[in-house]
Amino acid sequence: MRDMEAMKAVVVGVVVALCAALNLEAQAQVRSTIVGPGATKYPIAVSPLKTDGDPGLGVGFSDRVVLDLERSGMFRVLPRSTHIAQPQSSGVDLETIRFENWSVLGAHAVVKGTIAVVGEDVVVEARLFDVAQRSQLTGRRYGGRVEDIDRIADRFADEIIDSIAGERGPFDSKIAFLSTRDGRFKDLYVMSANGKDVERLTNARTINLAPRWGPQPDRLTMTSYRGGDPDLYTISYPGSRWQQLTRVPGLNLGGGFSPSGDSLVTTLSFDGNSEIGILDVDGTVRYRLTENSAIDVSPSWSPDGESIAFCSNRAGSPQIYVMHRSGSRVRRLTRKGSYNTSPAWSPKGDKVAYASRVRGKFQIFVIDTDGGGVHQVTTDGNNEDPSWSPDGRYLVYSATRRGRTHVVMSDLSGIHTVQLTEGNGGDTSPTWSGWLD
Amino acid sequence: MVMRWVGGWAALAALVVLVGGCSGKDPGDALEGIAERGIDESRLGADSRGSLADAQGGSLGLPGSEGPLEDIRFGYNSVDLGQQARNTLQRNAAWLAERPDTKVEIEGHCDDRGTIEYNLALGARRASAAKNYLIALGVAPSRITTISYGEELPLCRDAVESCWGRNRRGHFVVFGQ
Repeated sequence: MRDMEAMKAVVVGVVVALCAALNLEAQAQVRSTIVGPGATKYPIAVSPLKTDGDPGLGVGFSDRVVLDLERSGMFRVLPRSTHIAQPQSSGVDLETIRFENWSVLGAHAVVKGTIAVVGEDVVVEARLFDVAQRSQLTGRRYGGRVEDIDRIADRFADEIIDSIAGERGPFDSKIAFLSTRDGRFKDLYVMSANGKDVERLTNARTINLAPRWGPQPDRLTMTSYRGGDPDLYTISYPGSRWQQLTRVPGLNLGGGFSPSGDSLVTTLSFDGNSEIGILDVDGTVRYRLTENSAIDVSPSWSPDGESIAFCSNRAGSPQIYVMHRSGSRVRRLTRKGSYNTSPAWSPKGDKVAYASRVRGKFQIFVIDTDGGGVHQVTTDGNNEDPSWSPDGRYLVYSATRRGRTHVVMSDLSGIHTVQLTEGNGGDTSPTWSGWLD
Repeated sequence: MVMRWVGGWAALAALVVLVGGCSGKDPGDALEGIAERGIDESRLGADSRGSLADAQGGSLGLPGSEGPLEDIRFGYNSVDLGQQARNTLQRNAAWLAERPDTKVEIEGHCDDRGTIEYNLALGARRASAAKNYLIALGVAPSRITTISYGEELPLCRDAVESCWGRNRRGHFVVFGQ
């Protein structure tokens, strides 16, 4: 918690203050291009930032921005080998950039900027220019430590996406997942949204299940058998401190904190049968939301905290339902398919992603919260446990293809797909955090 | 009986070695800065003889780890007790009736064709169905506990019906013999 706030103090505080002071904002632009994942890719060049320190810093920043932009599926990034302008000697502002060097390559926009290094601190100034208009689209100054450079690049990539596509990108965030890569049991790992910076958080040597980020990316909830029974724990991030939340006999499975953080929803097996319950933040059961002889499982909060989507087999087969957080106004959402489960409510509140069994394999689907607009996102292999990016443009899920299970992200069309984890597989149950700030 | 105890002690010994080994020479990231991260720990009870302890000791599904009571099987995505399962439960109830000082934990397991969370709930229902049948046969409810392991502790990992069928099971762990 303190680490996270210290990081915010360094990066965010400085950024906000300096941005306001420097007035780097773009002038108003009229743009007609529709940019989004799946649409025509927007041609962009990212020049290594000019630096008085190690040129590797400028190249590294550019590499990271390029990775994020490519992973977004919205951009066609022009290869650095085609750049004409020398990054260390060419201009970095409106007056000194030779825009013809970029227009001749077909770039619609170009990223230029500087990194100043003072001891362990860096100041990054990055700007996005419209090549044809010869105008600045956006600019940001970031202050931080040298080791914050990758995060600064992720934040500027999100800013580029905001400038070109109209809404902030998702890359200043984390994805947690379970993996058997280092042992017999699934342990908890966290990586950056672009798949880099993988960290192992737990070494529990027992069954761990259903991790979910809290409303702030400073903690996760997870079900673990570390005490012998399946109980719900919180795990701090960074720091990996475990704290037991529930000691209710039977299942205490998944769910997680409400968007406001004032309560939790989870699956409990009150009498051998699983029901959805609301817990206080200290883990005591406040009330149960379902009471019937069917399986009720996998609750997911709506972003306003007013409703909960869940899976139930009360009508004979597992289907997705939604209800008010009081347990009233239960409504069946899915009508097609004989096994629909693992609902995940979108951050804008308009859609629910879920897994549906099709010809013996699970595929990811998205449905509007009014029950319309059903569409299939995945078609290849077996795909489970969808989770939304903070901007609602992407889903991350576990995908088993050719015998290996990896964490994969894709846009909602399923056309732009990126495998995020590497190695031999065994990567499951991904959960995408909100923005780091 | 002797085989089972040998298996049990072997599992415990393996577990002790495993845990002991881990504390000293785990690769960097796991234990680096342990004071900052807190210490990970799992329960290691003297009577941990269920499927989780077997899996931790590497003996799950190996001969010698079966226990005195026979598993029951379930159909795909089903919690119904078939004729064969009911016959097995009747034998298990008779065994328990002869040993009134014992307690039993019923584990519910699933094959891996459902989703992870749904299978946890399904495993709980399977264990509960077996418990209710044993109670109906006269076993005191206070002697029976249940736990679901969903699809987390498979006996085999082949994508064929014979393997899925083995994994869709109710398993009985006896305490206090």
